[in-house]
Amino acid sequence: MTKHIPVHIQFSQINKRYAKKHFGFFTDNKTSKVILKDADLELKGGECILLTGKNGSGKSTLLRILAGLLKPDSATINTGLETLSWKKANKLIRQQVMYLYQEPYMFDGSVTRNLEYALGGTERGKQSPNKIKQALKWANLEHRASTSAKCLSGGERQRVALAQAWLKQPSVLLLDEPTANMDEESRRATEDLLCKFKDIGTALLIASHDVNHFHHTMDKRLLLKGGLIMEIYDEGVDKNKDDEKSSHDNISIFPSKKQLKSNI
Amino acid sequence: MESLTTTIIEAIALLFSGDAELWNIIGISFRISTTAIFIAMIPAVLIGFTLAYADFPGRRLLISFFNTLLAVPAVVVGLTLYIVLSRQGPLGEWKLLFTQSAMVLGQIALSFPILVAMSHTAFQSADIRAWDTARTLSRNPLHALLIIMREVRFGLLGALLAGYGRIIAEVGASMMLGGNILNSTRNIPTAIAMETSKGDFSQGIALGIILVSMAFVLTMSLQYMQGKGRLTHD
Repeated sequence: MTKHIPVHIQFSQINKRYAKKHFGFFTDNKTSKVILKDADLELKGGECILLTGKNGSGKSTLLRILAGLLKPDSATINTGLETLSWKKANKLIRQQVMYLYQEPYMFDGSVTRNLEYALGGTERGKQSPNKIKQALKWANLEHRASTSAKCLSGGERQRVALAQAWLKQPSVLLLDEPTANMDEESRRATEDLLCKFKDIGTALLIASHDVNHFHHTMDKRLLLKGGLIMEIYDEGVDKNKDDEKSSHDNISIFPSKKQLKSNI
Repeated sequence: MESLTTTIIEAIALLFSGDAELWNIIGISFRISTTAIFIAMIPAVLIGFTLAYADFPGRRLLISFFNTLLAVPAVVVGLTLYIVLSRQGPLGEWKLLFTQSAMVLGQIALSFPILVAMSHTAFQSADIRAWDTARTLSRNPLHALLIIMREVRFGLLGALLAGYGRIIAEVGASMMLGGNILNSTRNIPTAIAMETSKGDFSQGIALGIILVSMAFVLTMSLQYMQGKGRLTHD
């Protein structure tokens, strides 16, 4: 797999609230719930961010917005070249960002068939069997090539999903609880594959409760609370940060000035 | 009972005698219904897909609208199109009334709500993660659509068969729009209705056997395909 040109994408002022709609037309503002409030996020190639937060705090919503799968109320995206609205950047996002579910969905058919779906139009053809073989080898799934994908275990499904990502080569990979309900061996195998993505310059954003499991992989930890994204500095986690920042022992939360303002 | 047995034997003999008129009626019937289902299929499946996955104001209203259309009798569809296509109607200049094209239009109108409602159900019955996964894997929207269509293919095939079954056997719209003209617009159901009114049951039974056999073959093919691709647990 070739190394990416490191990406640097900034998502700013992401707002999302869920509101009940009457007859599909009228929004009931009284029952609306704010999920994200002017949330800002920066994704850099080769960096692994761990996103933590309580159940229902909006982690999955944020990930789906970043993947272009869910429309936010408002959001702007800076690609490094230009600043675009979420709607305008959607096509670019969908090409560059890939989102993996906690329990990846496997389509009807073999593992090979599921991997074929990740190949683009130009890649599908004579070279595709070779590419799929490489992907199977990369994810250590060669022995499962012809198995029905729906019969795989949780760990194997996650590896198939990561092999699909390997074939698609996104610049940003978003993972929702990728090691939940896995045994130690499967978890380690998944983490190894994630490290390989990091090594080739893919930006990783992992939503998980489990800080300890990603302790060695993550570069930064964010907390999603009350619709705000805050950075948390844990001792020994922020390996590349300068002395001033890494001197924060244990946990300290630093919301951006704008977020603090809007919270007041 | 004796007369029924004799009629059935006569009908089978008629089928194997190579009666040109009978086979011409069968040919017209299949040609019109197949054309109608092919024209209706793509837009109806796309509407079913949009109703299942897109979020827009009035979506539920539209779903109810198509479900209501399922209950509209064929004869009412025929009457409406008759008014539209008759000389004084808005499309009277096209001179389509009592032609095969008018019958195709009538059958499109009849099969469309079934195809929309059943394909909508097929798409909606897929796992909630399926469409997101197809979108995140694909390079373009068409690729994602093809992935999800393959996933719900049995539901879509069922919709197609239900739509085809409805139009190949309907008599009201075909009679009003086609006029039951021999070698032109006489199809299986209109011929059965006419032969029965004349008291010639053997041709009616022969055509009925063709309809039932076709329904049997289509249902068996669907069952065979479903059995071959039987899904395991998810």
